[in-house]
Amino acid sequence: MHIPDGLISPQTYLPALVLAAPLWWWAGRQFARRVGDEALPRLAVFTALAFVLSSLMLPLPGGTSGHAIGVGLLTLIFGPWVAFLGYTLVLLLQALVMGAGGITSLPVNALAMGFVGAWTAYLLFRLLSPLRAEVAVFVAVATSVLLSALLVALLLGLQPLIAQAPDGSPRFFPFGWSVTLPAVLLPHLFIGLAEAALTVLVWRHARKRRWLPASVSSTA
Amino acid sequence: MPLSHPFRLGLYLTAVVAVTLIHQPAVLLLLLAGILLLSGKGRIALALRALRPVIWILLLISAGYLLMGWITGQAVLAALALINLRVLVIALLTVWMVRDTDLDRALARWPRARRWLVVVRGQMQLFRRLVDDYRQAQKSRASVPPTLRQRYLGSAAIGLAALDKGVHNAELVTLAMRSRGALDE
Repeated sequence: MHIPDGLISPQTYLPALVLAAPLWWWAGRQFARRVGDEALPRLAVFTALAFVLSSLMLPLPGGTSGHAIGVGLLTLIFGPWVAFLGYTLVLLLQALVMGAGGITSLPVNALAMGFVGAWTAYLLFRLLSPLRAEVAVFVAVATSVLLSALLVALLLGLQPLIAQAPDGSPRFFPFGWSVTLPAVLLPHLFIGLAEAALTVLVWRHARKRRWLPASVSSTA
Repeated sequence: MPLSHPFRLGLYLTAVVAVTLIHQPAVLLLLLAGILLLSGKGRIALALRALRPVIWILLLISAGYLLMGWITGQAVLAALALINLRVLVIALLTVWMVRDTDLDRALARWPRARRWLVVVRGQMQLFRRLVDDYRQAQKSRASVPPTLRQRYLGSAAIGLAALDKGVHNAELVTLAMRSRGALDE
């Protein structure tokens, strides 16, 4: 669901940058405090896995793309702040290496998929922790994918309303919510379920290998 | 005079933001031609590399918007030219920057970010290699294509094996970096 460069107006990406910058700074502090040198290799591997997962893209009629995200997995293993920062790096690499997403759209993509995705997965997993752990992981990840997709669809559909030429023609993304909501949300309904199943598989493996933090292991 | 890598990165970021403030297709067309001219040898390959990730999204948007214009009777060509050109100019700027800027050197002032980038890039290559190896191995051992179930099971097995291998490999890289003093910040 990456939004490419050139489709998002400065009226959107500048406020998003103002919002994302202090969150990145705070996430950086959390990262320095929580991730020691011994955890960095594991983080790099899971960041790379998130990169691979979200690189398998399918263009969607809504002007974006459909793919798994991988941020739920990062969140369950490293916590929401580190996941947000890690996913920002994934988005940056994808923008530079593969041309997917972009630099101006980075704050928007990072907030929608990285921040909202990570915190939704984290909070829902905590909330559902009395249930069987696999069910909590599945529901948390599927919901986080859907919520991120909803946010992307809303922001894309907002563009023709806030960035118009004097004659009323759109200057950036041209379709409204009537197109973006079904075009982005419907495919992500299936993508979210597939990603949730995949996350359960990897999460169980991580638990077996004792890669999970103590706080998560105790709820599992 | 050759520009330093951090300066190139800064220039690229400024240019990308500036392009989103331009709303005249003719200016964007001139910019596109200018970038192609300035990017030197290999400009065709560069243009194709820029086009590859955005072409399907642009085609989908253009086709959908043309259809909408045809149904509603609105003039949509100017808006479409503006959107397509802007996306292309930024995509071209990005691949040009990636080709001519060494990100490791550009990030020299942020060693932790640089180290993370190095390890993540290494892992990405490892994952790609493992998937390729798996595909080749499967092709060479079976005369008929695998069923969907076999593919899922195989992908799950290779994915988990790749994770174990990736973690092991990244730990070795970190140990090697530490022994060479790369982590002494």
